[in-house]
Amino acid sequence: MKRVFSFVVSLLAVLFIVMGVRWLIAPDGIALEFGLILGDGLGLSSQIGDMSGYFLFLGISMLLGVVTGHRPWFYAAAILLSLTAVGRTIAWLIHDAALASQIRSEIVIAVLLLIASRILGEDD
Amino acid sequence: MPFRHLFFLLVLTALSNALPTAAESADSVSASSFAASKRPNIVLVLADDLGFSDLGSYGGEINTPNLDAIAEEGLRFSNYHTAANCAPARAMLLTGVDAHLAGVPNIPEMLPPELQQYEHYQGVLGDNVVTVATLLEDAGYHTYLAGKWHLGAGPGKLPSQRGFERTVALADSGADNWEQRPYIPLYDKANWYADGEPYQLPDDFYSSRFLVDKTIEFIDGNLADGEPFFAYLPLQAVHIPVQAPQTYIDRYRGVYQEGWDVLREARRSRSIELGLVPPDTDMVRMSTTDDWSVLSDEQRRYESKRMPVYGAMVEAMDHHLGRLFDHLKSVGEYDNTLIIFTSDNGAEASGSADPLSFAARQGPTSLGYNLDYESLGLKGSYNTISPSFASAAASPLSLFKFYAGEGGMRVPLIITGPSVSKAGEISHAFSFVTDITPTLLSFAGVTAPDDRYRGRAVEAMIGKDLTPLITGEVDRVYNETDSIGYELAGHAALFQGDYKLLFTRGALGDGHWHLYDIVRDPGETLDLAQEQPARMQAMLSAYQRYARENKVLEVPEGYSHTKQLLINVVYHQFKTPALIAMLTALILLPFWVAYRMKKRST
Repeated sequence: MKRVFSFVVSLLAVLFIVMGVRWLIAPDGIALEFGLILGDGLGLSSQIGDMSGYFLFLGISMLLGVVTGHRPWFYAAAILLSLTAVGRTIAWLIHDAALASQIRSEIVIAVLLLIASRILGEDD
Repeated sequence: MPFRHLFFLLVLTALSNALPTAAESADSVSASSFAASKRPNIVLVLADDLGFSDLGSYGGEINTPNLDAIAEEGLRFSNYHTAANCAPARAMLLTGVDAHLAGVPNIPEMLPPELQQYEHYQGVLGDNVVTVATLLEDAGYHTYLAGKWHLGAGPGKLPSQRGFERTVALADSGADNWEQRPYIPLYDKANWYADGEPYQLPDDFYSSRFLVDKTIEFIDGNLADGEPFFAYLPLQAVHIPVQAPQTYIDRYRGVYQEGWDVLREARRSRSIELGLVPPDTDMVRMSTTDDWSVLSDEQRRYESKRMPVYGAMVEAMDHHLGRLFDHLKSVGEYDNTLIIFTSDNGAEASGSADPLSFAARQGPTSLGYNLDYESLGLKGSYNTISPSFASAAASPLSLFKFYAGEGGMRVPLIITGPSVSKAGEISHAFSFVTDITPTLLSFAGVTAPDDRYRGRAVEAMIGKDLTPLITGEVDRVYNETDSIGYELAGHAALFQGDYKLLFTRGALGDGHWHLYDIVRDPGETLDLAQEQPARMQAMLSAYQRYARENKVLEVPEGYSHTKQLLINVVYHQFKTPALIAMLTALILLPFWVAYRMKKRST
């Protein structure tokens, strides 16, 4: 079971890291996948900086969890994903945004990370 | 009111009514005197990859009545030369400066990385040259561009920042003629700009029609102010993909079913009849020309459709240019407009001899094109002409686009308008693409800058003013000792008097210099190198001097422009994924090391 969880969490972590790197290197391609139009000046700086930081943090914290076995790394990633899902829901309810299908994946991965923290986490 | 006050008021009223009338009258006198001495408008039309004998007035069978009409009104040049590919020709055309010094020794798409490290080998128009548009705009001309630019799209490089007041410009080496679609995988999209901003083409786009419409729109936009205009119209026709409306294609069904050799010979005969080349002009049969007689019925059927689409594209171009000329007549500007028509380089032979082969289909199909016979040339179809039919488009000359043979460098040039005194005549005088800018400036009464402009150093123009030739004062502007050097992708030439020194690299060359008399032997069939060793040596020395003075760099060993284009396409397509993979691997590396160490310790 431990091996399966290590593999799944690591795979997801790599995917998030690739997304972060794509934001750094080729933002025009990935921006479209998020329904974003790249801005310029400060807007572009915020888009690239915030989005790459978000995905790199997610991926790296998940890998840190797998490698060190420290539960807080899984919690941090799960909290970030949960808050993203909450934010998307509020955007749909209050700001007339689309109800993004990504919410489902974010909740599923957040739950998976909480389970992983139980299975992969080590007692100090 | 006392009587004298009433009288005073009456006088004042009378005066106030009279004053504007007098002023209007003065204005009208001034305007009419200005109109009488108004500087000529200039329309510079640049076809793309048009072969030497494609037009009716140059020996072709293609129906080009509008261009033939301006040829009859004006002067045709039979010995005009340009660069053998796109951007270097455009750089020289618009600046009068050698392409190497102008920063465009080759198109950026074909530059090897070894040369790209040099500042003047970027394939982008340098800031050390000033365009004819800038000079004319500064002299009070309205300046317009509608068409292919291909001289840079970075900061400060778009035509809107190089002297053009209104623009709709394609930044790439080419693009689809029916929609906003790239034609090679080197581009993610067709990069069009209007007045410096990215531009979305309309749904009903067809290149020649759209670009002429835009030119008319630009001209009409400022016609009321009476200032002259310079309209630069670099058309997409007949660059690949070769595409045309069905009605035009239908007119050429069956015209080319006898094959390329018959067509090349027919065009040679017609060029001789027209007096464009000497009566005994001989031709070489190029090694790239296939044997028509061994083609299968299916291959002949397909080839017989490729060339009609080409003819149709040329005729469509001519039709839309006719609309422009008619419009100039309808607004009363035609008689005061200098019209120049030419091509950026000779016929394009990059189309595959077997376009339906697996390898040839990969590029077009990766971009979503089809190569179906039925829809060939229409929207969504990718068409080219083969090197074999390109040899006919270049008839009776040798080689084609990219090569320094006459077929790559000698193209039609027609000049008509006020002061052109030799209506319907042909000039056999040598002329070069760098001559166009000095000629336009001369017609506009604008002085070319020496080595400084607007306070900064610029390259001096090397071209000659062709005005004395056009007005009939002289028979030639280059004397026997003037030499014009040329180099592109390692192919090189030097023109001096009636002679040309030629060096062709790669599969189509033999690695030796050859000497031709291109006046008596425009087909480059008889090498005079052994016969005239002294001339050969003198011209070789002149070429070496040219190469030194113009900072010509040698291409790397084994360089081939087609191979380099392929390398650059692959690099472009895989550069970003490779970078992403490398950076991701770099981030993952410490985790993998930590994981392995942990596993080992347990």
